[in-house]
Amino acid sequence: MSSSRIITQDFDYIKAVSLGEALESLAKDGARVFAGGTDLLNKIKTARDNPKLLVDITGIEELKGFSFSEGCLLIGAAVRLSFLEDEKVITERYPALHEAIKSLGSVQIRNMATLAGNLCNASPIADTAPPLMVYDAEVEISRLHNTRIEKRIISLKDFFTGPGQTVLQKGEMVTGVRVPEPMASSGAAFGKIARVTMDLAKVNCAVWLKREEAVVAEARIAVGGAAPVPVRVEKVEKALAGMRPSSKRISQAAALVGENLSPISDVRSTAKYRTDTASVLIRDTFFPAWKRSGGEEITDE
Amino acid sequence: MNERQIVLEVNGKEYKLTVKPNELLINVLRERLGLMGTKYGCGVGECGACTVLMDGNPVLSCQMLALSASGSKITTIEGIAQNGRLHPLQEAFLDEGAVQCGFCTPGMILSAKALLDKKPNPTDMEIKEAIRGNICRCTGYINILRAIKTASLKLSERSR
Ligand SMILES: Cc1cc2nc3c(=O)[nH]c(=O)nc-3n(C[C@H](O)[C@H](O)[C@H](O)COP(=O)(O)OP(=O)(O)OC[C@H]3O[C@@H](n4cnc5c(N)ncnc54)[C@H](O)[C@@H]3O)c2cc1C
Ligand code: FES
Ligand code: FES
Repeated sequence: MSSSRIITQDFDYIKAVSLGEALESLAKDGARVFAGGTDLLNKIKTARDNPKLLVDITGIEELKGFSFSEGCLLIGAAVRLSFLEDEKVITERYPALHEAIKSLGSVQIRNMATLAGNLCNASPIADTAPPLMVYDAEVEISRLHNTRIEKRIISLKDFFTGPGQTVLQKGEMVTGVRVPEPMASSGAAFGKIARVTMDLAKVNCAVWLKREEAVVAEARIAVGGAAPVPVRVEKVEKALAGMRPSSKRISQAAALVGENLSPISDVRSTAKYRTDTASVLIRDTFFPAWKRSGGEEITDE
Repeated sequence: MNERQIVLEVNGKEYKLTVKPNELLINVLRERLGLMGTKYGCGVGECGACTVLMDGNPVLSCQMLALSASGSKITTIEGIAQNGRLHPLQEAFLDEGAVQCGFCTPGMILSAKALLDKKPNPTDMEIKEAIRGNICRCTGYINILRAIKTASLKLSERSR
């Protein structure tokens, strides 16, 4: 039986005080990381998950870290989105991530939810995934080996393996997200099309550009909601590289997006709508990204 | 089943309670403490009727385990009137006709209170962002927006 009013399943819960304690508990059968709970409690309420043990990680001091030094932004797994949304470093240096966080859910949701939780939930439409992918973010994964804590770092673009699926193995958890500092003359922006602001997006995207004079030297573009996982759309990236942007040329490049997508039809949209919209969304998001890279205003020629 | 003790400060009063891991904060507030002002709407985080303030910040009590709330300070709609006098937001909601069925009102007022506590003079856009997670099926939001602006004026007059 499922209900949204009361939780009918039984489970145990611990509020871990150290990473070691959390990892030890996570090795148990049916254990899940419990961060903000904004995804996980709904999964439990709707009987899509039936955990035996919730390991609350939000009280672990070593996961509350937030720093920007030596060209790298580090965000601990217990950091809430509301803390990040007004952080100056993010607003100024990672505007596409700032825009994605601001667009996510509501004040209440952001007061509870974590960035790592958004990634680990692995929804194809997770809003922070596209900007973090184009900023070349990495995910720090920890596990217990005998009694030692072992860490591995993987690129976010290799993290997702399917809807709700990641490379995380039993006993592993994400302890932090690292984002390198964007290089000079680069700029990025986030775009999203949703039914209403509170709803999950139908399609979202992030565009990152490296500019040389009046030409796009390199483009990184990630699209969510149009494949089993958020994807980099290389066809469009290649078409944009070396381009002197004009409205028409940007649209033509963006129209190639379909070749990198495999959207589904569901309650929010049809597959065709998703592909068509992704192309328009990339075009629209190109302009602010270009502006932020220091590029001149683009004219129709 | 693995019951635990928690300590909650609700509206300035401390409670020691024994709860199960699967008990939600909303049910503890409503059914154990009898604070029926916090409303149950959707149960999945979409409507904001169950909004309470946790250490001053709006959270959803339908999406929060009582165990995770342990040690925090909770404010519900019952806790914002002072010395028998309604909070300026409550007065403004009544004066401006921002209450129809009233189901969204407790959550709406708490979201607005958290905003005004941080930003005494918000813009229209900031108010709309702050109540984006609170759905009202009756008023059409116009009077709610006006009420929050009125309260903001009243509060800043008072603090002058
Ligand atoms: C009303 C509503 C609106 C929403 N709107 C949006 C939206 O606009 N855009 C959007 O992208 N999302 C949205 N969400 C989804 C959700 O709020 C986000 O995905 C959120 O960031 C999840 O974070 P959390 O800390 O709450 O995760 P939790 O629910 O605690 O965890 C989610 C999943 O990730 C796992 N997990 C969490 N942290 C870790 C970790 N450190 N290591 C390993 N596994 C971990 C958990 O075990 C669980 O399976 C919305 C949700 C609701 C209820
Ligand atoms: S009842 Fe909690 S958000 Fe609707
Ligand atoms: S007054 Fe009825 S839902 Fe807002």
